[in-house]
Amino acid sequence: MPRSAFGASRRALVLRLAAMLVILVGFLDLARGGIVLAPLALVVGYLVLAPLSLFID
Amino acid sequence: MSTAVSETLRPSYRAAAVTAAAVLALYVVTLAPTTAMWDASEYITAAYTLGIPHPPGNPLFVLLGRVASLIPVGNVAYRVNLLAAVSSALAAGIWFLVAERVLAQWIEVKWVRRTGAVLAALLSATAFTVWNQSVVNEKVYTVSLAFFAVVSWLTVLWCDDPDGRRADRILILIAYLIGLGYTNHPAGFLVGPAVATAVLVRRPGTLLRWRLILAAVVALGFGLTPFALEPIRAAHHPALNEGDPTGCKDKIGFACTFSDTTVHRLMANVNREQYGKPDLSERQAPFSAQMGMWWLYFKWQWLRDPHGDAPGPMQDVLALLFLSLGIAGGVVHYKRDRASFWFFGPLIGTVTVALVYYMNFKYGASQSPELAGVPREVRDRDYFYLWSFSAWSVWAALGLVAVWRSLAERVGPTPRWSTTAPVLLLGAIPLVGNFRAASRAGDWATREWARDILNSVEPYGILITGGDNDTFPLWYAQEVEGVRPDVTVAVTSLLNTDWYMRGLLRRPAVKYDSAAGPAVYRGRSWPVPTKPILSLTPEQLSQVPEYLDVREPLRFDQGDIHAVIDPRRLEEGVPLRSDLLVLQMLKDNIGQRPVYISRSTAGYAQALGLDAYALTQGLATKISSTPVASSNDTVAVPGFGHIDVARGLALWKSYGAPAAIMRRGDWVDRPSAGIPALYTVTALGLGQALEQQGRAGDAQSIRKQGLDVAEGARITDWFVGAVPPSPAPAAGSDAPRGTTVPARP
Repeated sequence: MPRSAFGASRRALVLRLAAMLVILVGFLDLARGGIVLAPLALVVGYLVLAPLSLFID
Repeated sequence: MSTAVSETLRPSYRAAAVTAAAVLALYVVTLAPTTAMWDASEYITAAYTLGIPHPPGNPLFVLLGRVASLIPVGNVAYRVNLLAAVSSALAAGIWFLVAERVLAQWIEVKWVRRTGAVLAALLSATAFTVWNQSVVNEKVYTVSLAFFAVVSWLTVLWCDDPDGRRADRILILIAYLIGLGYTNHPAGFLVGPAVATAVLVRRPGTLLRWRLILAAVVALGFGLTPFALEPIRAAHHPALNEGDPTGCKDKIGFACTFSDTTVHRLMANVNREQYGKPDLSERQAPFSAQMGMWWLYFKWQWLRDPHGDAPGPMQDVLALLFLSLGIAGGVVHYKRDRASFWFFGPLIGTVTVALVYYMNFKYGASQSPELAGVPREVRDRDYFYLWSFSAWSVWAALGLVAVWRSLAERVGPTPRWSTTAPVLLLGAIPLVGNFRAASRAGDWATREWARDILNSVEPYGILITGGDNDTFPLWYAQEVEGVRPDVTVAVTSLLNTDWYMRGLLRRPAVKYDSAAGPAVYRGRSWPVPTKPILSLTPEQLSQVPEYLDVREPLRFDQGDIHAVIDPRRLEEGVPLRSDLLVLQMLKDNIGQRPVYISRSTAGYAQALGLDAYALTQGLATKISSTPVASSNDTVAVPGFGHIDVARGLALWKSYGAPAAIMRRGDWVDRPSAGIPALYTVTALGLGQALEQQGRAGDAQSIRKQGLDVAEGARITDWFVGAVPPSPAPAAGSDAPRGTTVPARP
């Protein structure tokens, strides 16, 4: 039986939380007018942490 | 799965990484050192300023490009170009894995499998359009290609074991990446039908697992959230803010960001309403012609021969060869690895036939030149089929391996792989045949063109331009390199939109830097403008009609200017909003600050009835407040009008593009060759004026320089005959939605 999509491990959940936080920081800095931290945080959040959190067991 | 089989199927990640690194090295060697024609400057500027390029705005690309622009290597344009190279190299590495995975089902020898996989990476990386688009960031399509490849690999992994522990996670990740890919470009969704087909064929019951489907939908939705960048960033009014997707007028705020105006403008951007393409049932060219366009570009992939230098039908023969190899590869794929075939086959179908139907293009710019008068795309659209050619290359490689195997089995009782390996040299044909045309190494022409035309304008001038190639490079020069930011560039193709003028009026005045400007403007004081370029209030601006439905000549009077505008000379046969705003700019600024019309617009000053007030100064035409009269330095040249000889010569000496064009020795993209032609026309016009002044030696010298530029761009045949032709249209424009003008009664 395939493992449930919602049966994420603790490690995956921590990563998902980290992804959300980093993306939130990115958008907050973007709203502030930031053009250095914001893109860095958003790229790390969307392209590294979020995919990793979905893939990792 | 037995241990032996599982060992065979184990992906060679390290070899794939080495292959990707080799492809990256090839791209770096042939990488553009700066910007290029068409959309390259727009995207580089958007990345650098964290701005918003044309709809849908490509927020993920902007983020990636901005991060790339921060990497301390080379100049900003080079860094963003590197993003394209890395994206395509990543895709090549993944095609290695996909090809190896298919080969693992029918080739027992490891080094043979790996060689076939390298072949897939090599062919896909050196197909002309893939290569040429990977060595400059002209579009966002190389990033899309990387997404396609990653999703392909994930789907292969899912197909391998759809009931495994990680199968659900892979599907949710795929859904997320499809959403995220959409925020780079809507093409991100193109991979969706192939994934759906693979799931339906491999494990259809998956689609009935509602909790999994719900999770995938949520993941896809989350992947779309980078679009939030657009209204947030737009509220800060960056230099590049296309569509202006915000309701905030001055500064960002909660209420204006979450207003109906913001939502309406954002959705207009995301849905590309600005372009308003016709319904798919209304074909812009026969479908057969649209497939013919794809075939033309397919032929380019294996031997790009822009000037017909290759002997006889070589390009056609090679195209048929690689078409046949691809078909053979597809058959092998179907027979040997059915599971991944049901992803890869539909993918190729989607990015080829379905995409051709969906894009619904007019005839291609270079297609069937013998058909005069058919509606044509402003440029060649081969880049839209980059994914098609890249994926087809994988099949072509599989087909070549099939040929190799067939030969190896005929030579001896056991396959003689080494003996028959020379057949693989066919896979190196695109590498060799496309090297010259695909490489952009050392090509500085576009950057120099931008500097040259900006410097043709006096300090604080307004420059009216016509389209992509006489506008985007100027944005790049001003916003990224800081060249002549005192000049206000106003492009007519965008003046028809409501957001563009808002941005122009918001644009801050920048002080002219005399030391950085051309010598010809030094030693004089230039009054700093104190008023915006238009006197209209936002309310008045919003009331300017889309067009005036008049067919009779119109009068334009301002001070000593008395012009008669014949609507038939205008592009649409009636004055558009852009024409009305240009006239208003003349009204508000003539005598206050210099107003120029770029000569790349091919006679826009004349179309506005301003012939008598037009004075050619280098690459631009200055609109004078009084009729231009001939004098010692101002010479009337038949076919050109009045030329400011002293200014023109001084500017010509400062121009950088002629040398850059000659150094390159080719201009592969023919639809933009009007730019080098403009230099030649400028030199020929100056030569004619010098001749009339009795300066035969100077005249001969500058004519020679102009013709050398034509030779450098390989457009000498455009200038056969002694009489200088009229300036060629050079702007090129993927114009936003054309105003719907009623047909002439």
